[in-house]
Formats: sequence, C-alpha cells, structure tokens
Amino acid sequence: MQIHVQRRTRRPPPLAMNSLPQELIDAVIDNLPRSSLFSSSLVLKRWRRRSQRRVLERIKFISEDQVDRWYTDFPQDPKGIASYVRFVGFQNTIFPGNLATFGCALQNLCSLTTLWVNGMEIPDELPAQIPRMEVWKRIIILRLWSISSTLTTVVSVVLSLPNLEVLSISRATAGLGWPLSSHPVIPPHRAPLDLLELRGDDGGIGRALTRSGLMSRHLSLDVDHPDMDQLIMPSSETLVKLTLYGM
Amino acid sequence: MLMDFPDLFALEIPHHTVSLPALTTLDLNIRAGIPSPHLITILSSISSAPALDSITLERECFCVDLSYQDSWVDLDRWLTRMAEHTRVQGGLSVILRGWPKGGPSTPGFREGCR
Repeated sequence: MQIHVQRRTRRPPPLAMNSLPQELIDAVIDNLPRSSLFSSSLVLKRWRRRSQRRVLERIKFISEDQVDRWYTDFPQDPKGIASYVRFVGFQNTIFPGNLATFGCALQNLCSLTTLWVNGMEIPDELPAQIPRMEVWKRIIILRLWSISSTLTTVVSVVLSLPNLEVLSISRATAGLGWPLSSHPVIPPHRAPLDLLELRGDDGGIGRALTRSGLMSRHLSLDVDHPDMDQLIMPSSETLVKLTLYGM
Repeated sequence: MLMDFPDLFALEIPHHTVSLPALTTLDLNIRAGIPSPHLITILSSISSAPALDSITLERECFCVDLSYQDSWVDLDRWLTRMAEHTRVQGGLSVILRGWPKGGPSTPGFREGCR
C-alpha cells in the first residue's frame, strides 16, 4: 500500500490593492501628505513610481555637500528619478562664483520648470553660461529671494530665459548699475510675463527691469515701491491684474 | 487727463496718470489697517480702467486710527468712481476679505457698488 503525501502550499489571498486601477492608486498617492510618501512607495511596485515622483518633484539643497551627493547618486540618467524633479531650490548653498556646482546640480534635471534661489550671490559669469545649458530653456518660474548680485547680472539672467513666465524677486540686494550703452534689452517679440512680483525692492531692480522693456500681465508690488508708476507704465497695455501690498 | 473720472480732481492728483485698458482685477492688501495716502495717490494715477470688474480689499489689522479717516473717505470716493465708470456688464464687484461684519471703519462704498 502506497501512501501519497500531497503537499499543498497555500497561496496567499490576492491583495485587494492589486486589483485597484492605476488611476485610483495615483489619486490616493496624490492626496497623501508628503510625510507618508516614503511609506507609500514601499506598498507595492505599482505604488513606487508615483510616490517617488511626488517625493522628488520638489527638492531643496541647503549645502554644497548635498549638491555633490545628488550629482554622484543620480548621474546622467534622463529617464531616472532625477527626471521627476520639477522644482529645485538652493538655499545659502553655493559659494560665490562656484558655477560648476550650480551646473552639476541642474544638468540632469530634464523636467525642471521652477528654480528658487535664496540667500545666494549670483555670479556675474552665469548669464554667459545659460545659453550653453538646455535646462535653462525649460525654466518658466524663477524666484530670487535675498540674493546679492549686480543689476546687470540679474537682468541678464532674466532676459536669458526664453520661456520665463513668472518672475519673483524679493529682498534682493543689487549693487552697481551699468552704462546705458551696455544696458540689457529684452529681445523683440518677447511675450509679456504672466507675473512679475517685486517685494522689498529699493527701486534698483524694478528700475532696471523696466528699462530693459520687460512687460507683465500681472504686477505684484509693494505699495511704497519708489518707482511704482514707472513699473506700471511699460505694462499698461497688457496689465490684467495689479496687486498692491502693505499700504 | 482724467477724462473718465473727472470727480477725481477732488483727490490728490499725481503728475503721471496711466490708462489700463486690459486691467480686470485689482487686489489691495491693507496691512496697516488703513489705506495710506500713498495708496490713494497711486490709485488716483489710474486715469482709466474700463475693463475692471473686481477689486479685492484685504485687511490684516483692525486697528482704527481716527486721524486717518480721510483716507477711507478718499478710498470710498475712488471706488465709487470706479464702479460708476466700469464698462463691464453687471458692474464692478468689491470683495472684502478679512473684514469683520459690522466692525469699525466699514467703508460706505459698499452701498454704491453691487
């Protein structure tokens, strides 16, 4: 008499989550707080990509070491997770004049649309570098807070970004003007910005941007800006919205 | 100058005036609780804004300084003129944000606007 022993392995019950359509999973992830996204990326493979995309769509560098690590960990991979980044911020990060670090941090961010720079010096060499790097063409939102630079550099950077739609400058310290003969002027047929926001400007940057011919559909200004009428005048035909603060 | 708003001659008239033919939205954030004379001067410099259909007045402070009551009168007058001269169908909307109901310094322009 032979006895057949059958071993039956019990299959795990199918996860209900596996049967959810991807659109529903994406909607759940999109509504999670940022603090939960690391956990959600570990739920299932189908949760990982969307969670990582949300984690990495906004990154901020607060030290030069972080920039170096980013460049080492996520080198040239246009379809890698560096491509998830849409917003990048630099806060008190780069030593003045260290353009190489700046360039390294930006060059593999192929989905970048927003650049935020806070508490840094913008090197005078940057405007010349911009046409050589593809990433700058994708920038549509530029926020410069508490920067120090020359007026020439700030205006040249702004005018070098062909697809810029939103420009926000706050508490900037811009020194030195330039001779009228070398004043940067906006290229012809350039569309007005969607938003030009100047806060805490002592008049220098506003005056320089106005002189360059930059126009905007929405102006957001401190009411005590010393050149209020000069700022409004170039945009008078295109201005759809005017926001005044702090009266 | 100021052809659309002749009554603004009662206000302080700035040297430079500007016509804003495309302006539809004006947001004023009144942090100090009162509209400053400087604001009135800036608003008075707008000689024409025929497409204006919405003005938002946002307050972050409810302190009242009676010595500045004239500022409210001037702002009321400017808003009323804007409401009278807009060419937007349905008229000008004034949106009050951060204003307590029945609080102090309620401007009179609300009666003049829809």
